[in-house]
Amino acid sequence: MTDRITVEELAELMKKSAGVTVAPEELRRDDAGFDRLGVDSLGLLGIVGELENRYGTPMPPDAERSKSPRQFLDLVNSALLTGA
Amino acid sequence: MSEPLPRRAAVTGIGVIAPNGASTETFWKATREGISVLDRVDREGCEDLPLRVAGQVRDFDPSAAIEERFLVQTDRFTHFAMAAADFALDDAQLGRPDTDAAPYSVGVVTAAGSGGGEFGQRELQQLWGKGSRYVGPYQSIAWFYAASTGQISIRRGFKGPCSVVAADEAGGLDALAHAARAVRRGTDVIVAGATEAPIAPYSVVCQLGYDELSTVDEPSRAYRPFTSAACGFVPAEGGAMLVVEADATARARGARVQAYLAGHAATFTGASRWEESREGLAQAVRQALEEAECAPEEIDVVFADALGVPAADRAEALAIADALGAHGTRVPVTAPKTGIGRGYCAAPLMDAAAAVLAMEHGVIPPTPNVFDICHDLDLVTGRARPAEVRTALVLSRGLMGSNSALVLRHGATDAS
Repeated sequence: MTDRITVEELAELMKKSAGVTVAPEELRRDDAGFDRLGVDSLGLLGIVGELENRYGTPMPPDAERSKSPRQFLDLVNSALLTGA
Repeated sequence: MSEPLPRRAAVTGIGVIAPNGASTETFWKATREGISVLDRVDREGCEDLPLRVAGQVRDFDPSAAIEERFLVQTDRFTHFAMAAADFALDDAQLGRPDTDAAPYSVGVVTAAGSGGGEFGQRELQQLWGKGSRYVGPYQSIAWFYAASTGQISIRRGFKGPCSVVAADEAGGLDALAHAARAVRRGTDVIVAGATEAPIAPYSVVCQLGYDELSTVDEPSRAYRPFTSAACGFVPAEGGAMLVVEADATARARGARVQAYLAGHAATFTGASRWEESREGLAQAVRQALEEAECAPEEIDVVFADALGVPAADRAEALAIADALGAHGTRVPVTAPKTGIGRGYCAAPLMDAAAAVLAMEHGVIPPTPNVFDICHDLDLVTGRARPAEVRTALVLSRGLMGSNSALVLRHGATDAS
């Protein structure tokens, strides 16, 4: 398993945890907010919980307050990097 | 200065998802024809439980009706509620642009007996099987009996008064009464109703403690109220949502008024104290008639609670006689729920929907599987009975002791 969370993995988690289907390319191209994508705060909390279970490490507390996928990935990936 | 006219609560839309039909049209067709769809319980995990027969909704595809992001965060009972609300709003010709133009004028009221048992069971299995970190956050809202009110309002963008009635099975009728009050107080539209999804392993196990539950394994014999063979009730899933709207608002936009919520009352006589329910139910009927300014003789049909427990059936037959006098033995009484099962809070909603449709079509649907009545009632059995139905009385009782009565008037009646 890579130690970086990719847009592909985030897209997969958005579908699994929040029922929102979005193509990874779309996440790369456009930094639409979670609200516009249809991911609510409980959905984002579910994504954070799933990542914590997968990586066996806590995510930063601010992760669940991220406004957009890009902000979220920057935050969790820098935490994974420093945590490693 | 003249007094403003009271705002009458009209029914302008109906949406039903029932064991005998996953649309209002199919529900009514099967109900009118008296088709029984009671069947062996074959839901996964329920096959070996002592409950043998239920009314299961078989032809409803949630993913075709509801967006995925709402599906993942809700239980089956909320899937029914969201889909039935869509049907009701379509029937009322209230589209998204209409409600978006005045979001504070539209609210939601639902009732539910048990909430999201299937969703809750899945997450609790995660909790005890893998640990608390594996419980999804939507558990916090999905199994809550209030979930449907919240999800309907969020999904449709409604910002008007929203509430949930927790009042036993009879709470289904109380939700309609609450909607009528909200309309009289000034809200233009309330989407009101009840849906249930109790055919899942955890939920079924919870019901096994009810003495009134029928565990007979022959579908045509499992639920036969008002007969000497009465052996309890068969549970059902599904439900109905209605659009309850201010009469003046409905008429101003050219909507078809299908019925009026004319009167309602509720009483409480204690859990499983069926003999006492006679007095409580009769009192609810009297007060509902009084609110509707309706004489007993004006009632054209009674949709009975029909629990299927001898003491409860006797109490209901006597309550009808107590409240309606001599008319009580002459008025046609029906219980279409014997063909689909008893859907807890959703049961009186499906009856209310059938009552409105009976008025519209001039026919009283029959009581499937029931013959040889042992009470002094004119129960409509066998086939539907043509009748001019201008006023209907819907009765409901809960296992925990609530009794409710609702008087519906036909939409064509002039303002009184």
